[in-house]
Amino acid sequence: MTTFLEVCNLHKRFAGVHALRGISLLIERGEIYHLLGENGCGKSTLIKIISGAQAPDEGHLLIEGRTYTKLSPIESLAAGIETVYQDLSLLPNLNVAENIALTEQLVRHGGKLARRLDRRQLASTAARALSAVNLPVDTPFLTTQVSALPIAVRQLIAIARAIATQARMVIMDEPTASLNRREVERLIGVVTDLRSRGVAVLFVTHKLDECLAIGGQVIILRDGQKVLNGPIHDYGKRELSFWMTGRHLEEARYRNAPCGREILLSIKDLQRKDAFVNINFALRRGEILGVTGLLDSGRNELALALAGVRPAEHGIIALDSKEIMLRTPADAIHYGIGYVPEDRLDEGLFLDKPIRDNIIAAVLGRLIGRFGLLDGRKCDMLAQSVVNDLQIATPDVWRPVQSLSGGNQQRVLIGRWLTIAPKVLILHGPTVGVDVGSKDTIFRIIQRLAAEGLGVVIISDDLPELLQNCDRILMMHKGLITHTFNAENLSERSLYKALINENGHMGDT
Amino acid sequence: MMVLLAGIPSAAAGRTVWGWNWLGRRPWAFTLLLISLVSLVVGSINPAFFQLSNLFDIIRGSVVQGLFALGVLVVLAAGSLDVSFTAIAALSMYTITNAVLDFTPGMPIAPIFLAGATAGILLGALNGLLVLGLKVPSLIVTIGTQYFYRGLLLTFVGTALIANVPASMEMFGKSELISFQPEHGMRAALPTFVLVLGVAAVLTWWLLNRTLLGRATYAMGGGLGIAERLGYNVATMHVFVFSYAGMLAGVAGIVHVSGNRLANPFDLVGSELDVIAAVILGGARITGGAGTVTGTLLGVALVTLVNNVLILAGIPNTFQKVVVGAFIILGGAFFVVRRP
Repeated sequence: MTTFLEVCNLHKRFAGVHALRGISLLIERGEIYHLLGENGCGKSTLIKIISGAQAPDEGHLLIEGRTYTKLSPIESLAAGIETVYQDLSLLPNLNVAENIALTEQLVRHGGKLARRLDRRQLASTAARALSAVNLPVDTPFLTTQVSALPIAVRQLIAIARAIATQARMVIMDEPTASLNRREVERLIGVVTDLRSRGVAVLFVTHKLDECLAIGGQVIILRDGQKVLNGPIHDYGKRELSFWMTGRHLEEARYRNAPCGREILLSIKDLQRKDAFVNINFALRRGEILGVTGLLDSGRNELALALAGVRPAEHGIIALDSKEIMLRTPADAIHYGIGYVPEDRLDEGLFLDKPIRDNIIAAVLGRLIGRFGLLDGRKCDMLAQSVVNDLQIATPDVWRPVQSLSGGNQQRVLIGRWLTIAPKVLILHGPTVGVDVGSKDTIFRIIQRLAAEGLGVVIISDDLPELLQNCDRILMMHKGLITHTFNAENLSERSLYKALINENGHMGDT
Repeated sequence: MMVLLAGIPSAAAGRTVWGWNWLGRRPWAFTLLLISLVSLVVGSINPAFFQLSNLFDIIRGSVVQGLFALGVLVVLAAGSLDVSFTAIAALSMYTITNAVLDFTPGMPIAPIFLAGATAGILLGALNGLLVLGLKVPSLIVTIGTQYFYRGLLLTFVGTALIANVPASMEMFGKSELISFQPEHGMRAALPTFVLVLGVAAVLTWWLLNRTLLGRATYAMGGGLGIAERLGYNVATMHVFVFSYAGMLAGVAGIVHVSGNRLANPFDLVGSELDVIAAVILGGARITGGAGTVTGTLLGVALVTLVNNVLILAGIPNTFQKVVVGAFIILGGAFFVVRRP
């Protein structure tokens, strides 16, 4: 195998934080790499330097024998490095062909824009790249706007762009975060094909199971340093998470307390057109209930209906044996139902506002002092008590939320809902994009809340997370609840089998 | 793979009517519909509407606004906003008319246009550099430069009306491309300066659709951060789009003086919203990344039509604003609905 990229002793500092402390790596052609590490370990800084979005303070890159002390995005592309960021870097207002093949023309002209657009070449390059990822190559598809396509297809289009630019190294930042298992399998197939064409692939991910299934080399960063580099099959899951966190984490079940008997929330015949029908279940006081299913199973819509965001059209919701109507998020808050959304950046947090303002946002009415103005002291005290309670790592409550790590941001959001003294807490993907160490803390908080008598609903496609935390797990398929499992003594294997059997093909893993 | 794609067309068909979809992909058709509607209503109330002279008047009245609108289209497509173009036009047209009268009164029309375009490019480039250098939203920068350019004009260049414009400008403004005298009714004439809008429209279409610059413009409007990561030089692009809008504004200023045979430093500024409204009615998005030359020209025609012919239907001048306002809200609602 030949070396494609050599990273030599990279250092990067941001306002006092030493993000990279002398990273050196070798990337060979035709090999798959998994770059692992907790949030804040330096992974994203490293890929930003390789893709030309940031310049290193010290060190250099050696690409096919040529030395670069820093790269611009166009130089990185021209050198054969294509980076597929988590948002896929697709332009929603351009069509499929343009998204795939414009970069290739741009690179050919060395980034100069005052050039004629070669439309015939655009179409033929795009068609060639699309056929390599098994997507249609007809004109109607080539001229479809990318915003009209589902996420799994967009993912393949981003890979087709890498093929079109004849990339020799493809970096993928959490490529499977929004895909279901079946789409992940397709993606793995495409990546294996890339590898056989001599392309190096670098995955940045949190999902250890997937890394182990794909195989290849593992690179683990911790605190800006490389702590592990070798064939991934030499290590087990426990060892990998030890190297990532520096401590041993239990994989055991967090759930150990029994739940109460009294029914807190009961749902009868809940229905919303094109989303879910015939939903019946009861949530007891102190119970943790998991809801899972594939992306189109209706689980997300059910969560939004219980939060009052997209209300159900028929059915009865009763809280403490009293029938309630949930038409708006304000209704849900009024009855003490808190909802932590899956996408905390877009739907949950005011990123540039202080932690304090984020925590108190749902209970402003209760913090009013004289003259109808907010009572600053009450606000500070409430925010501080939540920060202490949930062990949010911050020197003070005035820092903007975006200065926190993913796990701490999630705690701010959970803390906000605790201020309404909720009876029911709905957590939608509570640990999406959260690193292993923070997961542990969040799970402990969930258990504590249940012990205090809250009813908790976790909507998630992270099966181990549900098995570790829940009393019961509901499985949804095409808008219906198809199974109810007792989570104790249930194996991940049988839960996964049920999940894919519902989707019409047999479990073969 | 067909499985992955299978859901898309069927899901879309379930929710929307086919004709609605067709219209959705062609926002200009909606503009055309409104134009026909207005024409039919006005024409049925007052048959005098249907004569060539009215058509020519609308085209004539659309030239300056059309030039502005093409510039706004490019800036909007790139995800920015510009409200300083009228001030650029006023400053360059008045300064150049003054300078030509003082120094070379016999200057032919071509170099005068060149001077207008150059002045516009320089003033527009300053907009682009400020947006880029200060990282301030373009709306704020151009509100600032609108005041700045206008203040410069009225303080340092002059406030007096110039009624005797240079001979070449007067000639150009008067010259006719075609004229037509029906037996009954008014004489209809199409001025030569209509060609300026035609050339600008073709140039803008070619830039947007046939060059990498054009694709880069839409790319920026689709997502600035993404475009930067994909290797587009967004710094150059900022300067380019504002310079291009400035150039069209400079040219529009010269056309305005020639057509009116009058240079009034108080003209034009204040009509920005009309132009932006026309571009939005033509299907561009205020948030960027969309818009076509055809749609923009139709949008301009619609606004000019409403502003000029409602009087024929007995609708008072002041009420025209109500109609334009209603169209904008209607158009806005339509464009929101049609997008998935």
